Amino acid sequence: MVKTADIVIVGGGISGVSIGYFLLKYGAKNVVIIERDFLASGATGRCGAGIRQQWGSPLNCIMSKFSCEFFETAVDELGFDGDIEFHQGGYMMLVTTEKELAQTKKNVALQNSLGIGTKLITPSEAKALAGPLNTEGLLAATFHDRDGHLNPFTTTRAFADAFVRLGGKVYTNTSITGIRTSNGKITGVDTNRGSIATNTVVNAAGGYVQNIADMVGIELPLYSKRHNILVTEPVERVLGPMLMSFSLNFYCQQTPHGSFLMGRTCPDQPRDLRITADSRFPVAMAKTIVKVLPQLKNLRMLRQWAGLYNMSPDNHPIYDQVPGLEGFYLSAGYSGHGFMMSPATGQSMAELILGLPATLPWGQLGFSRFTEGNTIHEPSVV
Amino acid sequence: MLEKTGVPTQSEIESVFPSDERLSKGPVAVIECFQSIPCDPCATACPRGAILPFADINDRPVIDNDKCNGCILCMTKCPGLAIMVVDITWSQDRALIKMPYEFRPLPDVGQTVQALDREGTVVAEAEVIRVQYNKSMNKVPIVSIAVDKQLVKTIRNIRTICDTPTTATHTAIQEEAQDTGIVCRCNDLQLAEIRALIAKGYTTIAELKQMARLGMGPCQGRNCLPVVVNELSRALGVPVAELPVGSFRPMVKSIYLGDLAGYEEQGEN
Repeated sequence: MVKTADIVIVGGGISGVSIGYFLLKYGAKNVVIIERDFLASGATGRCGAGIRQQWGSPLNCIMSKFSCEFFETAVDELGFDGDIEFHQGGYMMLVTTEKELAQTKKNVALQNSLGIGTKLITPSEAKALAGPLNTEGLLAATFHDRDGHLNPFTTTRAFADAFVRLGGKVYTNTSITGIRTSNGKITGVDTNRGSIATNTVVNAAGGYVQNIADMVGIELPLYSKRHNILVTEPVERVLGPMLMSFSLNFYCQQTPHGSFLMGRTCPDQPRDLRITADSRFPVAMAKTIVKVLPQLKNLRMLRQWAGLYNMSPDNHPIYDQVPGLEGFYLSAGYSGHGFMMSPATGQSMAELILGLPATLPWGQLGFSRFTEGNTIHEPSVV
Repeated sequence: MLEKTGVPTQSEIESVFPSDERLSKGPVAVIECFQSIPCDPCATACPRGAILPFADINDRPVIDNDKCNGCILCMTKCPGLAIMVVDITWSQDRALIKMPYEFRPLPDVGQTVQALDREGTVVAEAEVIRVQYNKSMNKVPIVSIAVDKQLVKTIRNIRTICDTPTTATHTAIQEEAQDTGIVCRCNDLQLAEIRALIAKGYTTIAELKQMARLGMGPCQGRNCLPVVVNELSRALGVPVAELPVGSFRPMVKSIYLGDLAGYEEQGEN
């Protein structure tokens, strides 16, 4: 293990590897990723890995548009000798209430003004794009054909392989056991495999960011919450777009492999880092999905699991240096959208850490927004 | 009954047995596969097409008895040892039963063994007529026994009676795994592909799962994980017990979303 590093990234999920890649791309040297388990072993490997540009805040629209465009050419840019399985079948957002329709119209206008080609469509147009869809009770839908979903495992590998090729070092099965500081500055990290002297630590530990912050006695305005997901047996493709609805509370996609992946927000989820299975979830999920896609009643569920959403007070991430500790950076609080925003996360954190001009509006995503009353409203979060 | 005890009822046995008319025409396979599970090697095992093609990996086998000639090929492909061949025309008073037998030592030809029913109770004595075991048999020896014709639907296994090991007629072939062997039937992964990934540095079950969808199919790892854990152990020189196996929690039985949707919640999680 190296004895010194310019930058130590904590966490080998999609955010950590993206930050690592962009740091090296923009000229950083001696960057190390420390991962407690294996790459994508946390929320990244448990998520639906969808990407949508259909948002209600300008900031999320811009960040997701950047990310989607990155993913479109990621295999080339990262030089990956594999497939990140980016299925751009579009996202279709189903609208079932008048209130939701009013908000949706505003969102579509905003998205269009930012160069995102979302269309408001009728139930019959929705049916034409998603054959198995039951349009009963549907008022309208929105559709953006460049949205889609990826394989979170291979996408993480693509970033990690590029990071290593550019000279980065990844240490898996390695736990941070302590963070060294002196006079309000970071001086190093201790791991179960040795210590590394460094002046810069990036906390990208996903659901476990607070555990890392605890090592330096810092309380973050974030909490982690369990989210459930299930997968069915694979069948031939019948569903092109990823479906999602706020009012019906679900998302559902058919992966390139043929399985259907689906999730929804459940009440009373623990916030204590538990990711055990919730037996109420598959029942509630099945009740929802067989109404929207009736033919799925004939599909068998194979497995359910859960992962952690790291929630922030305004459902937007924090990209910032932690006040009071020089060299301690935080990239967290994606509130369920960390995977899709990961290219923007890497770009933003690299610009922030290396002092580069901001090409993305990450300046709005610092800690000060909570104390100065500049939190960002996002009306379109599950 | 079957789900509680593992023993099929008489009517279940009758449901998979060929008609008396067919039995009287010579050897024929009997497939005692009673549950819909994700498993399909038998569907492609028969060169005569006697086992009908599956529409779905969860299908139960259907056999065209007129095409079946009672060879042993499908028996060596069934991981559940669910297939036997019966021939009531074998002699005047005795029937021949060919069955997969994976215990050691293998019995000797001519040896008298105990014949067991489906509950494992000794119901008769049987004479070992033939023991077949060679490299093409997928590590499934086939033992043929002669039994009283009246017991052809009763006898399902044997126990070798002697206390001391016999000189087995057939010594076990070297347990050298074949590269082209299918490790994961759900996702069609050959051992060679797993070995290539291990050589690339994916040395835990969790990583192999991510990269190759190992254990993510309908069997949820029941079939592939034991094989791959052994392969990892061999490649890394680490005992199986010390390898992290990741989360392995296959469902007892996969459930239709339609059935789940009809379930009413009973109390808390």
